[in-house]
Amino acid sequence: MSATLRPYLNAVRHTLSAAMCLENFSSQVVERHNKPEVEVRTSKELLLTPVIISRNDKEKVLIETSINSIRVSIAVKQADEIEKILCKKFMRFMMMRAENFIVLRRKPIDGYDISFLITNFHTEQMYKHKLVDFVIHFMEEIDKEISEMKLAVNARARIVAEEFLKRF
Amino acid sequence: MNSRLPACVIDVGTGYTKLGFAANKEPQFIIPSAIGIKETAKVGDQSSRRLCKGVEDLDFYIGDEAFEATGYAVKYPVRHGLVEDWDLMERFLEQCIFKYLRAEPEDHYFLLTEPPLNTPENREYTAEIMFESFNVPGLYIAVQAVLALAASWVSRSLEERTLTGIVIDSGDGVTHVIPVAEGYVIGSCIKHIPIAGRNITYFIQSLLREREIGIPPEQSLETAKAIKERYCYICPDIAKEFAKYDADPAKCIKKYEGMNSVTKQPFTVDVGYERFLGPEIFFHPEFSNPDFTIPLSEIVDDVIQNCPIDVRRPLYNNIVLSGGSTMFKDFDRRLQRDLKRTVDARLKLSESLGGGRIKPKPINVNVVTHHMQRYAVWFGGSMLASTPEFYQVCHTKAAYEDQQHGFISNIVRTSSK
Amino acid sequence: MILLEINNRVVEETLTVKYRNAQAGGKSEYIDVTVADFDGVLFHISNINQNKSKIRVSISLKFYKELQQHGADELLKREYGDLLIPTEDGYNVSVLVDLENIPENWPEIVKKIGLLKRNCFASVFEKYFDFQEKGDEGQKRAVIHYRNDETMYVEAKADRVTVVFSTRFRDEDDVVIGKVFMQELKEGLRASHTAPPVLFSHREPPRELQNTDAKVDNNTLPALPYQVLQGVHTQARPENKSTDKKTITGRTFIRKD
Repeated sequence: MSATLRPYLNAVRHTLSAAMCLENFSSQVVERHNKPEVEVRTSKELLLTPVIISRNDKEKVLIETSINSIRVSIAVKQADEIEKILCKKFMRFMMMRAENFIVLRRKPIDGYDISFLITNFHTEQMYKHKLVDFVIHFMEEIDKEISEMKLAVNARARIVAEEFLKRF
Repeated sequence: MNSRLPACVIDVGTGYTKLGFAANKEPQFIIPSAIGIKETAKVGDQSSRRLCKGVEDLDFYIGDEAFEATGYAVKYPVRHGLVEDWDLMERFLEQCIFKYLRAEPEDHYFLLTEPPLNTPENREYTAEIMFESFNVPGLYIAVQAVLALAASWVSRSLEERTLTGIVIDSGDGVTHVIPVAEGYVIGSCIKHIPIAGRNITYFIQSLLREREIGIPPEQSLETAKAIKERYCYICPDIAKEFAKYDADPAKCIKKYEGMNSVTKQPFTVDVGYERFLGPEIFFHPEFSNPDFTIPLSEIVDDVIQNCPIDVRRPLYNNIVLSGGSTMFKDFDRRLQRDLKRTVDARLKLSESLGGGRIKPKPINVNVVTHHMQRYAVWFGGSMLASTPEFYQVCHTKAAYEDQQHGFISNIVRTSSK
Repeated sequence: MILLEINNRVVEETLTVKYRNAQAGGKSEYIDVTVADFDGVLFHISNINQNKSKIRVSISLKFYKELQQHGADELLKREYGDLLIPTEDGYNVSVLVDLENIPENWPEIVKKIGLLKRNCFASVFEKYFDFQEKGDEGQKRAVIHYRNDETMYVEAKADRVTVVFSTRFRDEDDVVIGKVFMQELKEGLRASHTAPPVLFSHREPPRELQNTDAKVDNNTLPALPYQVLQGVHTQARPENKSTDKKTITGRTFIRKD
């Protein structure tokens, strides 16, 4: 792990732990509704100031908090075109299966690659520290995953080329 | 492209896949829905076993070639009409398109089929594979039963062409009775019957086994199948048919000539009562299956009686046959007669219960048979995909990508419970 | 299957069924089948004059005129000889299959007809290999617009035949992935000593194509000169080009999930 990654992840972990302080809160606008305030944004007093933690201009995390929900958006490093495509495809693949990830949002916030939406119902069902671990783990893995896939694409291209040229 | 290339029509069934280009009368290929892949014997879960470093994942065969290739494990990605292994399904389609149809998927529109009661998830996966892996410009996923109804239009006049009717789809493994009203399947009323082509073959095989001694044991199944396909028909009345055979055996009893595949010696089989007894199990299932005794005509009647009352008459009026096991001669006439009897008896009963004051309007029972019956689903698809309207109803790639971002309303709903 | 085949399966199987059926004395039915092949090619299999035993197989290629300039007609005459018949309207080449007198070597004929598309293409390559053998350098470059916005160029020099493909990807992602694959194809040469050298360039056409109408924009990815050098050209038979194109675009190979 590079020298800057550790403090970056630490900062995210602490911010998340502090921010993930949610309680059940019914909608103030619609009777008998209970909506994630960070999404509906109907009452200003329920929203907290969002925080951005950034490692560099490409890698950053946006944490938006409200009384009953928190939204974590991650921008992933994309060094070149291939990584951009891989990142896009990978995130899209995950978001199409968002229901399996429970806390995954089906669409990322503008300017970010992937967003998680955690509500008080999630924190009631799951351990808070595990939820934080999950997000951190995801951030650790995603870079590795993308660079591995990039290598795989290159390796694949090489093998295909060799297979083809072998025929001559 | 200035002139449009024909659309590709692919009907993936449990047993066989029918594929070809639109506007043709018959599918260009009918291949088993099987795929032969190389799997290493390493332990681990499925995905890690299939991970590979080279191009092994391109090294596979589909259809008949899967069985012929040695050293490959044969798998069936589809079970009971539903796709079970999407990874294999994607590869199966890959060869269907590139090797068999020789089509560049970016240049052709595609029509795929789905069984009735397919889940939305399955449809989404299909769309994902077609749009994202193959980059098709447009895709339409049609329900098989509706295509079978559309296929029956060839034998009907213009004003009779409706999308309301009962589809009796009988393939190798199972028979479905599916009611369709104005193009929509009435899912709650579908019935499955555990009697289809394979059962008839087994039944004939058992009849032959009791009597004929000349058939080599390892060829008995294929002999039974050949006899079924060549000589079987449906009779109006078994008792009379037996009498007919006894009166004039020379005319009724056929000879089947086969060849022993090992010794190359010819052998002959007398084909007698099994000619009509085989397919008779549709109407007397107890002959072969002690657990299931309801005749086909009764099931069809049941299905229609379960449907909403306002579609029952049109359903009786349009009973469409589809699939190879409905190809027996006079299948339609027998079914129509048996159904008519049941229906008339019911009307008579209601008349007598009403004291004869009300005379019910008679119900038309009409079983439709046509020469595209064997591949009715594929043919219906081919017809649909060759019309200009097809390109309007198709889902395009652009629409698919837009829709991916249309889930925003879902987020709020699912996360707030 | 790792590489795509060069024959057309539908055509082969349809004809095989017809021949077998006719040999077994079965009655033939009317036939009317239209199928597509790569590069917008269409095949049409039908009966002539309502005669069930005379089957006409026609092929339509949008760029057949260009192939004709390079001796496609002569090559087809050599390959198909008596099978050729007057061309069906809207198609470029027609051959006849007669079920009434079946020759001994019918499986060969079926094979041959399955290769119709490949043989149409072959003329260009054969001609330029000839030029090269004779050391004829003065010939004009052949230009085949084999797809709407993709073109192939063939050129002969004394010591080499150069084939240049320009491939164009509609999808932006494909351009990037295609580039990776092309790059590797260029480098993959080290693995095989007999393979012809491959070069590729992105956005600007290679030197071979200077002063042509080669379309260039951001999506025109690689023009790919294939140089078939003297020493190796016997092995480098004119491959059906759609084969290699598909292989290198890798559209079907990459799983991005």
